[in-house]
Amino acid sequence: MRPTAPSSRRSPLRLLLTAALAVTAPGALAACGSGSGSDPDTVEVSYKQSTDNQVRVMDTFLADVKKQFEKANPGKKVKLVPIKAPDSEYYTKVQQMLRSPKTAPDLVYEDTFLINSDITSGYLKPLDDYLADWKDWDQFIDTAKTAAKAEDGKTYGIPDGTDTRGLWFDKAIFEKAGLPSDWQPKSWADLLTAARTIKAKVPDVIPLNVYTGKPAGEAATMQGFEMLLYGTEGATAAGATDPLYDEKSKKWKAGTQGFKDALAFVETVYKEKLGPEVSDALDPNISTRVRGELLPEGKLGINLDGSWLPQDWLPGSGHEWPEWSEKLGLAHMPTQNGQSPGKVSMSGGWTWAIPDKAGNPDLAFEFIETMQSKANAQKWYIANSGIAVRKDVAADPAYVEAQPGIKFFTDLVSSTHYRPAYPAYPKVSTAIQEAMESVTTGDASVAEAAKNYDEELKAATDDQVIEGTEE
Amino acid sequence: MKRQASGPPHPAFRAFTRALPLTPASVLLLLFLAGPIAYCAYIAFTDLQLTGQAEDSFIGFDNFRTAFGDEAFLNAVWLTLVFTVVSALLGQNTLGLALAALMQRASKPVRTLVGGIVVTAWVLPEVVAGFLLYAFFRREGTLNAVLDWLQLPTQNWLYTLPILAVSFANVWRGTAFSMLVYSAALNEIPKEITEAAEVDGAGGWRRMWHITLPMIRRSIGTNLMLITLQTLSVFGLIWVMTRGGPGGRSQTLPLFMYEEAFQKSMIGYGTAVALLLLVVGSLFSVIYLRLLRTEV
Amino acid sequence: MTSPNTRRLAADAGLLAIAAAFVLPLAWVILSSVDPRADLTVKVPDGVTLDNFDAVLTPEITFTPMLNSLLLCGGGTVLTVICAALAAYPLSRFRSRLNRPFLLTILFATSLPITAIMVPVYALFVQVNLIDTMQGTIFFFAASQLPFAIWLMKNFMDGVPKELEEAAWTDGASSLQSLVRVVLPLMGPGVAVVTVFSFVMMWGNFFVPFMLLLTPEQMPAAVSINEFFGNRGTVIYGQLAAFSVIYSTPVVLLYVGVARRLGGGFALGGAVKG
Repeated sequence: MRPTAPSSRRSPLRLLLTAALAVTAPGALAACGSGSGSDPDTVEVSYKQSTDNQVRVMDTFLADVKKQFEKANPGKKVKLVPIKAPDSEYYTKVQQMLRSPKTAPDLVYEDTFLINSDITSGYLKPLDDYLADWKDWDQFIDTAKTAAKAEDGKTYGIPDGTDTRGLWFDKAIFEKAGLPSDWQPKSWADLLTAARTIKAKVPDVIPLNVYTGKPAGEAATMQGFEMLLYGTEGATAAGATDPLYDEKSKKWKAGTQGFKDALAFVETVYKEKLGPEVSDALDPNISTRVRGELLPEGKLGINLDGSWLPQDWLPGSGHEWPEWSEKLGLAHMPTQNGQSPGKVSMSGGWTWAIPDKAGNPDLAFEFIETMQSKANAQKWYIANSGIAVRKDVAADPAYVEAQPGIKFFTDLVSSTHYRPAYPAYPKVSTAIQEAMESVTTGDASVAEAAKNYDEELKAATDDQVIEGTEE
Repeated sequence: MKRQASGPPHPAFRAFTRALPLTPASVLLLLFLAGPIAYCAYIAFTDLQLTGQAEDSFIGFDNFRTAFGDEAFLNAVWLTLVFTVVSALLGQNTLGLALAALMQRASKPVRTLVGGIVVTAWVLPEVVAGFLLYAFFRREGTLNAVLDWLQLPTQNWLYTLPILAVSFANVWRGTAFSMLVYSAALNEIPKEITEAAEVDGAGGWRRMWHITLPMIRRSIGTNLMLITLQTLSVFGLIWVMTRGGPGGRSQTLPLFMYEEAFQKSMIGYGTAVALLLLVVGSLFSVIYLRLLRTEV
Repeated sequence: MTSPNTRRLAADAGLLAIAAAFVLPLAWVILSSVDPRADLTVKVPDGVTLDNFDAVLTPEITFTPMLNSLLLCGGGTVLTVICAALAAYPLSRFRSRLNRPFLLTILFATSLPITAIMVPVYALFVQVNLIDTMQGTIFFFAASQLPFAIWLMKNFMDGVPKELEEAAWTDGASSLQSLVRVVLPLMGPGVAVVTVFSFVMMWGNFFVPFMLLLTPEQMPAAVSINEFFGNRGTVIYGQLAAFSVIYSTPVVLLYVGVARRLGGGFALGGAVKG
């Protein structure tokens, strides 16, 4: 046994089993070529592969970086380990891999929403020593740097871009419904009115898509719920703090009025049949379908979604749709009643992190340096329709003009919010999805769903909850 | 026992050499079945998590207390009960017996054909079966097409009645086992008995009830036992068809356990639920062993 | 009194009606796999094409997962059958105080819901470094099938008369020799049933490899087809159906081959008697 795991338990039972298995499974320890410790010259890179076989944006980009890296470092090899799964299952798979030195890759693609949770579990390596010698790090904008900074002040991940969120709408459907082509709702009521108009005048299309429920995973929480919650009266009032988490007391907030208002909005969308069929909304691949089918085929009126959608429609992505920029319009998400600041956006993003149990961390960081050089990062932001987190790229006209929409979404960065991505956040997020799902299916009223959320929240955060006080 | 060529060895030594062939199986079972069960019993009392935790600790019966106050858990227990009763006891068992009884009388080519079809459904891999039945029950699937053709109302089965859809799927997939067991049992009933009953003028149903069923009592017990436990373990079929949704309306205990342990990363809690599932299985086993007591 | 002929016709009709319900989902997969424009409903294909098969017959989609399945299930089955045959022999042939508790334990284990222990098995395999290894998964597969296999094997073995072995013992053969040379050949059908049953159960099992294997290149078909299926974004039902057909064929053929020699799988039913 390699005693590398900083394990907290050494129970006699486990030692006994370990010894017994070590005796009976001699082959198990001579790992058969799949452990990351098996070859000091190979970097294993785990990343999320789209469940849509037509979309291979990331695979293409990484294959290109792999070629550059192997050329620049003779004798070194890169092994790409794509994990094909919907978001929520991808996280599970990665965490399972990170638990054992046998299966941990050298480099892993981590969503910022989960990174603090994984840092707490001791799955990742702090990168400060590497960053000290990497001059490009100064080019990264501060908000992006903090995205992967843990409570211990150390940095654990290199962001590869960020994102913002807003409303995409189909101009042809708007024309049929008699809505303006430069549409910009001022409040939630405006948004619902537009959806109702589409429902009345344009049959056979889905008026408005708001992600909801556990199958959609974090998309439901962030693209759906938080885009509403962070625009509620309580969240935008003067001196308001984060609507989910109270920094002062270090506790999570139980269901506030804003929380109920956001749930009520979701309930309205599905009760009035303004959204997709509930069974489709609760299919794990709804987000893939929205991008691959519903929008390109002109079957969706308004879509509350992220800035990255065009990555699926670029040349060579499998679903080329060059005319998307003429067919679709963009509007920012309004606040609840149009109160200041008027706009809402959430930002997240993904980072490259090095697992604590990685066999070749140094080589892995060299790979990051190649991957996040100015030229490669720029290539990636454009391929991925991401928002630049490197200042030199953000200032490069070639990037700004590369795609319609980049400017719109980059401008939202000034009014964006970040999730309180503390270790308990993933569980809080699941609790939010459950509340959304129950009002979507009609299994619970808004009040009941909010009450269940409070209970789930206590369980998820070890009772670190304060009763909702509206500020 | 026969005399050995080299004189009788010591009885203890003989017992030892005779038990020797049991070793490989015992070692495997101890390490890979008893070991995990013991480990299961241990983790169930901790708050081990998949992520978001630096240290796990022993928390006594907290997981179990949480479970019995958790509506989602009680919902999973209820659904497991529905799924088991509908798909195993009512569905597979009755349909298997009906098929076996009809086969006794049917012509050979029909018997071969029908047996082949039913068994094919059984040997298909779990995920394939799940996928076929997903396609069958979906809104635009075959079932609705057939109902449409018969002028009957259609609906989105996987959304409105997911637990029934997965129960039917399990009947489709598992009936063959009961059919084979009952066919073998019915074949062992001496012809004279049924013929004598026929001469006495006992009708089909009465013969079934008063003569056939009592004679295959033991097979019925065994079969019910085995299919109940197979049904308690079903994961892949439901996972593929509905993922336990929508809104947890087809989330049986195995799916609930997986979600809690991995998607919500509460490994300790998920394991506590697993332990409860094991206990339920063990209770069944004990009843079953009582039934077979005379045999062993 | 009805005549036997009418009764036979009624039984035939009843059976065919049930079979029709069973056939619909199967028909869908067969028809869709050759349909260039497949969707979710059974219908006459718009022409017949092998393009779907062509599209999935690549190393990444079909060959590697199928080979992995073969390694896992083949290894697991061999291990199961050997261990079960060895264990069944003393249980069937010798009287011993150990037999009863051992058999009771085996029967008890037969009825455990294996699904329930997958979470702890995963956690345990991480601790002892067996996670994501073929051999770990094979060992677990074998252990999970063993109780039922031992029990079936013993029931078959009880059906082999003892006299022949006793003759062999008189000639000075050891227990192992008489098992291999006398008993097993006489219970060929039984061994075949146990082998096929174990193989089919492992081949179709999704949860065990789903939990114990992590790297894509080690995934058996049971898990890789699920990823395929997860791709409902732009579902290519025809290809999915084609892959399902390819993946299911080996077990169906195996079953058909054995059933024809043994008279329709009743051997299993017979051995499962109480």
